[in-house]
Amino acid sequence: MRYIEKLRKALGREPTFVELQAFNITWSEHCGYCHTKEYIKELPGVKRELNAGIVELGNGYVASFKIESHNHPSAVEPYNGAATGVGGIIRDILAMGTRPTAILDSLHMHTINQGIISGIADYGNSIGVPTVGGELRICEEYRYNPLVNVMAVGIGKSEDILPSKANSSDEVIIIFGAPTGRDGIGGASFASRELKEEEEKIHIQVGDPFMEKLLIEAFLRMNEEKLLTGAQDLGAGGVLSATCELMSKGNFGGIVYLDRVPLREPDMEGWEILISESQERMAVVTTRDKVKRILEIVKEFMLYGDVVAELNESGIYKAVFKGKTILEVPAKLLTEAPIEPTFRYEPPPMPSFDKVKISFEDVDAHEVFEQYDHMVGTDTVIAPGTGTALMRIKGTKIGYALVVHSRADLADLDPYWGTYIAVLESLRKIRAVGGKPLGITNGVNYGDPDVDPERLAAMMMGLKRGAEELKIPVVSGNASLYNTFKGKAIPPTLIIGMLGKVEDVESVPLGFKPSRIYAIGWSNFDRRREELLLRTIDYCVSKGYKVYSSSRLMTKTFEEALARQGFKLELWGLPQVERAHQMVIVFADEPIETIAPPVVEVGKLC
Amino acid sequence: MKVAVIVFPGSNCDRDLYHALRYVGLEAEYVYKRRDLDEFDAITIPGGFSYGDYLRPGAVAAREEIGEEIKREAGKGKPILGICNGFQILVEMGLLPGALLQNPSGKFTCKWIEIEVVDNQTPFTSLYKPGERLRLPIANGFGRYVKGNLEPRVVFRYTEDINESDDLIAGIASQDGNILALMPHPERAYQRILGGEDGLRLFQSLKLFLEGKRSVSK
Repeated sequence: MRYIEKLRKALGREPTFVELQAFNITWSEHCGYCHTKEYIKELPGVKRELNAGIVELGNGYVASFKIESHNHPSAVEPYNGAATGVGGIIRDILAMGTRPTAILDSLHMHTINQGIISGIADYGNSIGVPTVGGELRICEEYRYNPLVNVMAVGIGKSEDILPSKANSSDEVIIIFGAPTGRDGIGGASFASRELKEEEEKIHIQVGDPFMEKLLIEAFLRMNEEKLLTGAQDLGAGGVLSATCELMSKGNFGGIVYLDRVPLREPDMEGWEILISESQERMAVVTTRDKVKRILEIVKEFMLYGDVVAELNESGIYKAVFKGKTILEVPAKLLTEAPIEPTFRYEPPPMPSFDKVKISFEDVDAHEVFEQYDHMVGTDTVIAPGTGTALMRIKGTKIGYALVVHSRADLADLDPYWGTYIAVLESLRKIRAVGGKPLGITNGVNYGDPDVDPERLAAMMMGLKRGAEELKIPVVSGNASLYNTFKGKAIPPTLIIGMLGKVEDVESVPLGFKPSRIYAIGWSNFDRRREELLLRTIDYCVSKGYKVYSSSRLMTKTFEEALARQGFKLELWGLPQVERAHQMVIVFADEPIETIAPPVVEVGKLC
Repeated sequence: MKVAVIVFPGSNCDRDLYHALRYVGLEAEYVYKRRDLDEFDAITIPGGFSYGDYLRPGAVAAREEIGEEIKREAGKGKPILGICNGFQILVEMGLLPGALLQNPSGKFTCKWIEIEVVDNQTPFTSLYKPGERLRLPIANGFGRYVKGNLEPRVVFRYTEDINESDDLIAGIASQDGNILALMPHPERAYQRILGGEDGLRLFQSLKLFLEGKRSVSK
């Protein structure tokens, strides 16, 4: 264990076996954000006590959204690794008190890995949450460390929002969902180190989307009946992480009765129950008078559950199994993982990206996203393929635009500028469908911060400056470090998830029509022109033109999507653009009179 | 006019179907467990993954107790609609002939396709014209329809071979026409903002039928 000395010092003695198991998880990089916490604090607009970011959409509606990675499990067991990645982030969104409404995935891999695709498809399709967008990045650099980052979005009313903490010492914690087995034991610490050639699959959780669907509906029923005062999903570190976070954030202590956790494998030891990462489980906080009704709902939905923890004022986290105390430490000690010093970083001037060493293949993503149900829920207004995803809220005019985007090709050469430009490009995509940006969620994917702390710092600074300059708060995030194999790291890959509000979703131009095609903007990048480009995008959207903003100008996926809608795309003289450029494609049925940026007619759609 | 939306554990298009029914002015109500269905004027079974589709799609749901109630109402000639997983369930219940097999691609497929109306003499299709082409979404992993010994009453056919279904069959009805099942999702195409509204008239047809304004030949 990395922080064994620190633990000895904090306890003032040798840690016990169970303490070692427990702290090995809660003080892992995966749970404790040891290398990134200080950078995260510097980001604009971070709300700390929430599970995932929340932004207001108006009319009392809120959206919660967060991105999460499942890289290590997907490398070893693609199908279940990716599937449980979807399950995990969905429960994060659910724990906020919102109904999951959309999934987007950002995939970096060396070839289309059908195991990963099927894992996402089977899980997402079954639980009835549409996969409405994503990015597919194919590049050799990710052969041993594929990146599977999933962003989930939920919608609710502001009064439905739940805190991820206990509120009073009279409360209890109920754990419900699937029964607990030995799967995923040690998953959090496995995800916090380099991958080896032979990995044990015991660390990999197994997904059951049917259970997840029941869990979603049961949880929402409880929240609808106002039975809950707080919630936390069970992810890395299982019962231990969820219960100690709920206690610690509320400044309480409590007793966890491990015998009460419903088991799938009845011969489990107390410590195994404590840290198992069995999927499809939730921890909810409630008052004693509501326990009976909650357990009725659990039973109605064919799930398992019981009151597992009772809170008190002690501040001490105590776990009991078969009448014996197996763990007794301050709750705060568990949740306050050691923090690594940050690397002070000042960005250099933007380099020329001519020297970029890696590039992504231009692949038609239809083969992938057609395996995902992107329409269930009947709120998908712009489906995958033609740009930014756009969703609506039924019964209102409110729309919300969603995008996941990254530029590891640029970041490989310069992590600061690559990340910074990814933030800017994400905003262009949101504005291209008339969205006003409300927040960013970020997915940090990185190699070894102990070997190379500078590039991590550079990436985080790129995010910070980008978000600050554009005045978009970073409301949630996730970090996956140690994406290395035999010492070789992946390119620094920071994925931007962005959500924007669309005031009147009915005013956004639907579908394409025969039109002229223009390339508007500049073939290279100069930060000072960005505002002008954004204003031009806004202007085009307001005129009812379709705007397509992509780092590649035109993509196979987009061309195929147009073809499937029955259009013939005729292009002549599409400008050559640099890796980082400021140009968008606009479809208009009349000549465009702009303002400053150069306009070139490049083709027609018929 | 009250329509039941049967929700099995794992159904996931229940809310979509509910909204589409209400959109055309029908009253809709979710039904979660066995109960008398006599008070409903029509019964609908939505898509999804009932019981996770872990045995065979629809196989477990078809053997639920509520199945007896659905059969009883079907016997009375009440309109019954099954979409996607609902189609699979009706076939597993033995209310409709044939079977739905895995797509030859082995993959779940979600996209817009085109179908042709073959039969407009059912409570659900009176507002369509025979031969009319409709654009609707499909979203399934087991959508390949194969006939059994009985020749089904074909209501919709794909206009091209998308999954090797027998005779390009996309939707069928019971011999007397009151039970309709299809793999495409009309409830996902009831408004232009969703990419198409060719599914809308299916629900409007049902409403007219229930109001007694349209009769169909049996």
